[in-house]
Amino acid sequence: MSKSASGHAQPHVHHWETSAAPLLIVLGILLLVVFGFVSWFSYNNILYTQICAGLGVPLLLAGIAKWTAEALTQEPVMEGLTPIALPIFIVSEVFIFLGLFISYWTMRLSAGPNWPPAGTPTDMNLVLPIIMTVILVASSLTFHVAEEKMTHNDIGGFRLWLFLSIVLGGIFLGCTIYEYSHLFHMNFKPSTNAYSTAFYSITGFHASHVVVGLGAFLTVLIAAMAGRTNKYLTFCVGLYWHFVDVVWFFVVSQIYYW
Amino acid sequence: MSTASSGFKLSEWIFSTDHKRIGILYLIGSIAAFAVAGIMALLIRIEQSAPGPTIVSDVYTGGDQYNVWLYFHGAAMILGFLIPGLTGFAANYLLPLMIGAKDVAFPRINALSVWLFWAGIVVALMTFIVPDKPDVMWTGYPPYSVTTAGNTSLYVFTVHLMGFSSILAAVNFLVTIIYMRAPGMGWNQLNMFVWSCFTALIIQLIFVPVLASAVTLLLFDRYLGTHFFDPANGGDVLLYQNLFWFYSHPAVYVIFLPAMGIFYEIFATMAKNPIFNYKAAVYGGMCLLVAISGEVWIHHLYYSGMPDWLRLGQMVTTLLISVPVGLMTISLFGTLYKGAITFNIPMYYGTAALYLLLIGGLTGIPLALTAMSVHLGETSFTHAHFHFIMGIFATFSVFAAVDFWFPKISGRMLNVKQGKIGFWFNFIGVNITFWPLFIIGVEGMPRRYWDYSQFPAHFAGYHKVATIGAFIVAIGMVMTISNWILSAIKGEKATDNPWGSNSLEWTHTATPPGPGNFPKPVTVDANWTPYTYK
Repeated sequence: MSKSASGHAQPHVHHWETSAAPLLIVLGILLLVVFGFVSWFSYNNILYTQICAGLGVPLLLAGIAKWTAEALTQEPVMEGLTPIALPIFIVSEVFIFLGLFISYWTMRLSAGPNWPPAGTPTDMNLVLPIIMTVILVASSLTFHVAEEKMTHNDIGGFRLWLFLSIVLGGIFLGCTIYEYSHLFHMNFKPSTNAYSTAFYSITGFHASHVVVGLGAFLTVLIAAMAGRTNKYLTFCVGLYWHFVDVVWFFVVSQIYYW
Repeated sequence: MSTASSGFKLSEWIFSTDHKRIGILYLIGSIAAFAVAGIMALLIRIEQSAPGPTIVSDVYTGGDQYNVWLYFHGAAMILGFLIPGLTGFAANYLLPLMIGAKDVAFPRINALSVWLFWAGIVVALMTFIVPDKPDVMWTGYPPYSVTTAGNTSLYVFTVHLMGFSSILAAVNFLVTIIYMRAPGMGWNQLNMFVWSCFTALIIQLIFVPVLASAVTLLLFDRYLGTHFFDPANGGDVLLYQNLFWFYSHPAVYVIFLPAMGIFYEIFATMAKNPIFNYKAAVYGGMCLLVAISGEVWIHHLYYSGMPDWLRLGQMVTTLLISVPVGLMTISLFGTLYKGAITFNIPMYYGTAALYLLLIGGLTGIPLALTAMSVHLGETSFTHAHFHFIMGIFATFSVFAAVDFWFPKISGRMLNVKQGKIGFWFNFIGVNITFWPLFIIGVEGMPRRYWDYSQFPAHFAGYHKVATIGAFIVAIGMVMTISNWILSAIKGEKATDNPWGSNSLEWTHTATPPGPGNFPKPVTVDANWTPYTYK
């Protein structure tokens, strides 16, 4: 390209960009979620399930750790696009939940007056969902404070309020587990009737989003412990959490109070 | 111009976050899926070449074996070949180059997408390993998919992995198109292919999640004992069909749009013409198609039962689809008008595509009409219709894309002779395969039957002809794909812009493009378009 190398500005040497993180994450998902599920549910093979989970979990965690480390240290292709991409992704999430709610509404409306169907406990706990709502809204607020702390460069405060949000999210999940075990005890299981079908599917699907949100919080917290923060990443994690919060309002109003 | 890296390093491929290499990984995966799904098609055709058991073991288990072939053929062709071949390979390789970007917005997410797609291929291929092979077509309708002994979870996870891959790719590319166009590049200066991907990915973003929720509920019904699709316990079996087709009808536009986009690029370049009616094709064609794509899915449920007023409404919306598609087709034909056409392999496929578009499109009209579709809907007429428009048209677009951009991707020219012979085998073969199916479809040959001994005896002759056609296609496919491999290794060296195109991927990059795509940042002025030929 250049005539002679001597003293001349060398053209910028490009490299093929690489990252092992995506492949690790996919292998983790494939082993843990897909093969783990298939081994357990299709073939009732506990050993295979343990092997798949035992390999899948470390691969997934290693992938996420590597991804986060790269995302916080390397220069992006273009600055500031993540806060635009996440809302676009959330559009997609909205449609997943719409699919679930439409299924529930179909069953609910076609049942007419025979709702709730036989087998539903007459004394469903309607106080717990209110408490859970308060906890989830509180966690959104504590995260908002954490974001405020970060904009004022108070990294210690950021960590503290983020930690509080994680604790509140954890309590929320604990409530779900308590509620599930209580209902199972009353012989109200996913297979019981149409209401249990919708109840466990929708609350469970929401809870899985809480788990993802908490995982994202933990990732941000661990990075913040090492002194690395990124305002775009924090914004996205927070937005996702608020979205999960909003979905919960629909879950409560439609599943518990209708 | 030289590219920085020389020699093959495996780690630079499997860990690559570069959109061009990811595009090639998509191509390899989708061609692998295509090959295996193609073998399934041959098995289906051999089985149908005579009434009664041909290659299945006996009349008792024959249906089960045949269902597995149908499942893999449909699922792998649509989810594993067409969608990733177009919005995976072609969009990945070309889109950033066409808009003058050095990569996509999120290269790591792009790598995540391609490996999720590969994981989907792995799960699909598990079909041939597990004892309880999935046998639920590509649709997975309950109650069969819930009660069958086949492993429905493999079907569900294939859809999940491919679907998640598509959603991430959609987010990634939408952001890329909106924010990373070269300075000065306005929306009316975009390549048609970029527009077609933009609109197809909007469909992916909105509709794939609904399919994901449908198959998730199927998984719950099958393995957790829930009752979403179980009428005996307050569920609704048609709910699944509605959710499924809510995505899967627009999915045909996810395939159709980029396929059209590819042919626009080829026609404009080879005819050295601007796109005829650019704005009408983009806004009245592609954008309108997206807008009404979500309102026609119920025509897939004509035979499942619905009130007459709904059937009538669906007939109108379905026929309305021909407005945007017509606008796009007119502009495709118009682009050739008074052009100095270079007639090479991509143009062969392009011309064949015009014919396929016409036959496939026109045979869709009787299927949309409620009165006729009662007669034709569940026959091999439908089967031939969607193979023409969705199967062959789209497959030819992938082939045309590889042939057209082959010099850019590999740095070498294709063997023209082998490419042309391969084309003729493909083109003649598909006609011999699907015309007989149109004819016996009208006479009442049902879809999906492996044994048709209770139907008129002369059907067997048509089926035999169709089977011969399928083997002719197979020869053409082998010639086409082996041509890519051989020419990539020892073909004649290509220049930077062998077709004399005005599009950025030809005019501003090395052949093949190196890391970072463009030696220096690209800007375009207000008079530039990819189709400004003197």
